[in-house]
Amino acid sequence: MKIYLVEHAIGAFAYDEQGKLVDYVLNSKDLGKVVEALIDNEKGMPLPSAKELLSKLKPDEVVVENEAEIPELQKNGVKASLEIHNIGSKAFRQSLPKIALETKFTSSEEELYSFLYEVSFEYTRRKLRGAASKRDLLAIQAIRAIDDIDKTINLFSERLREWYSIHFPELDNLIEDHEMYANIVSKFGHRDEITEEGLKELGLSKEKSQRLLTAAKKSIGADVTDVDIKSVRMLSDTILELYRIRRELTDYIESVMREVAPNVTTLVGPTLGARLLSLAGSLEDLAKMPASTIQVLGAEKALFRALRKKGRPPKHGVIFQYPEIHTSPRWQRGKIARALAAKLAIAARVDEFSGRFIGDRLNEELKKRIEEIKTKYAQPPPKKVQEEQPKPKHKGKKEEKRKRKNK
Amino acid sequence: MSEVVKVEKTEFENIYECVYNDGTTRLCTKNLAPGHNVYGEKLIKISGIEYREWNSFRSKLAGAIQKGLKKNPIVRNSKVLYLGAASGTTPSHVSDIVEMQGKVYAVEFSPRVVRELILVAQHRPNLFPILADARFPQYYRALVEDVDVLYVDIAQPDETDIAIRNAEFFLKDNAYLMMAIKARSIDVTKDPKEIYKAEVKKLEEKGFDILEVIQLDPYDKDHAMVLAELK
Repeated sequence: MKIYLVEHAIGAFAYDEQGKLVDYVLNSKDLGKVVEALIDNEKGMPLPSAKELLSKLKPDEVVVENEAEIPELQKNGVKASLEIHNIGSKAFRQSLPKIALETKFTSSEEELYSFLYEVSFEYTRRKLRGAASKRDLLAIQAIRAIDDIDKTINLFSERLREWYSIHFPELDNLIEDHEMYANIVSKFGHRDEITEEGLKELGLSKEKSQRLLTAAKKSIGADVTDVDIKSVRMLSDTILELYRIRRELTDYIESVMREVAPNVTTLVGPTLGARLLSLAGSLEDLAKMPASTIQVLGAEKALFRALRKKGRPPKHGVIFQYPEIHTSPRWQRGKIARALAAKLAIAARVDEFSGRFIGDRLNEELKKRIEEIKTKYAQPPPKKVQEEQPKPKHKGKKEEKRKRKNK
Repeated sequence: MSEVVKVEKTEFENIYECVYNDGTTRLCTKNLAPGHNVYGEKLIKISGIEYREWNSFRSKLAGAIQKGLKKNPIVRNSKVLYLGAASGTTPSHVSDIVEMQGKVYAVEFSPRVVRELILVAQHRPNLFPILADARFPQYYRALVEDVDVLYVDIAQPDETDIAIRNAEFFLKDNAYLMMAIKARSIDVTKDPKEIYKAEVKKLEEKGFDILEVIQLDPYDKDHAMVLAELK
């Protein structure tokens, strides 16, 4: 039997000489595995799914599109030849979405394309990684810039609220979101120029707009001139511009983080990932840290206080931002933090030293462990009655000191 | 500052023209990623729809349209293989034109600019960034599908051969090839017109029907856009 072998991100497919699909083996949806297989394929390794398919079908002759695969196939005793855009690959690539649905690789076309989107991103990032040098330092600076911007936004927003409240004090309580507040000031200026339509454009709910409009009508604020408003607006425009920069930086951090530390990013997201790098100093430093240190990064003050005064060490540092930690009951947090830190340590090391993508797998394992914690420790532990005994070692030291002092 | 008064449709699907109050017009496309611009171009909001101005001096496709392209094969729902995507200036507009149902497979070889391409693709689920060498289509065959349009803008001496090889791999029957030829990167000593002729001949020998050859000056000097159909 002669088959036309088609290899694609979604799997391996065998067509006969009439261009009919004979059999197929699908790829896993693990991004790391797929991308790895694609990169190996460039060097002449058939996809794992293709190997499986061939051993299943045992054809006498295989037609492929990648010349580099021929020696590898022939080594395994299969007669292989090259023909591009052959009857099989044409049939496959002309109806890719249909085939993905028929073979149940995905249940919808959107799902297929979002998978391909993810794969091409990961493939491209993986290749970029080779060309990256010290790009983790850029992500670190960017996250620090975001922190500075947040501080500035808060500072300016407080000032804006004070300032604009001379004219329209009721707005301060009505709008909590700083960005929305600045938007309203920038867009309308004078309180009697606020329109319902304009508020709708800003994305405010109907009910809130109504309340705002009534407030504007009945406002007890002072009347001000256009010149006064102009100055206030400069400040609100600046705040909006800062928000814009913040968004761009967030995008940028995401792209750099997915490139330099894909596994860490998959676990905790780009922002928290960059924050960890920032606290550690660099990806290399993070990779060299034990999980226990990663767990309390950002809580150094509490940790050293605890070490000094023999108190309880902190359960978590910045990884508190991880949703599963701060949304869980208090007695589960420490356990989840420990599990997360352990996975982060692995992720950071793989990112720094090998560059493989195992983020999906780590994530899955972590989710499983969190699930386990949640069922096993669903109830709060009983309160401890007896007080903890101070450690004699410390006591001894202290007494020694006191003795010395007394001398 | 001149302001946009209105946005009008052009003869091409999903390509618009914004009219300024001083009477001048410029091309634009509907923004698939509202709120985001790609290369500092202006965003125009008119009756709730956001458009992006399309700079003909920075995009050869826009230049070709301004210079009187008769047919644009890139329409809504088109699947496009884009070779030489660079930092994503033109691909972003192509992604606007084909809309979400269309797909743009953007191949680029230089890591430096792929970084920017990734930032552009982040907001465009129909734009797939692929860091690969267009000389070896077999390396990215596993990521793409057969396409309606092959768009080539790679400024290499063997650009036409690369285009043909990719067409053999991925072009559907009766589908289109659009190729921007940079005469200066094929041979600096020859007259650009002769180069266009020679490259066009190569395409014809491979079974392409040449529909148009458009010179792109003043938008791009010594450049031409070739539109061909595979028979």
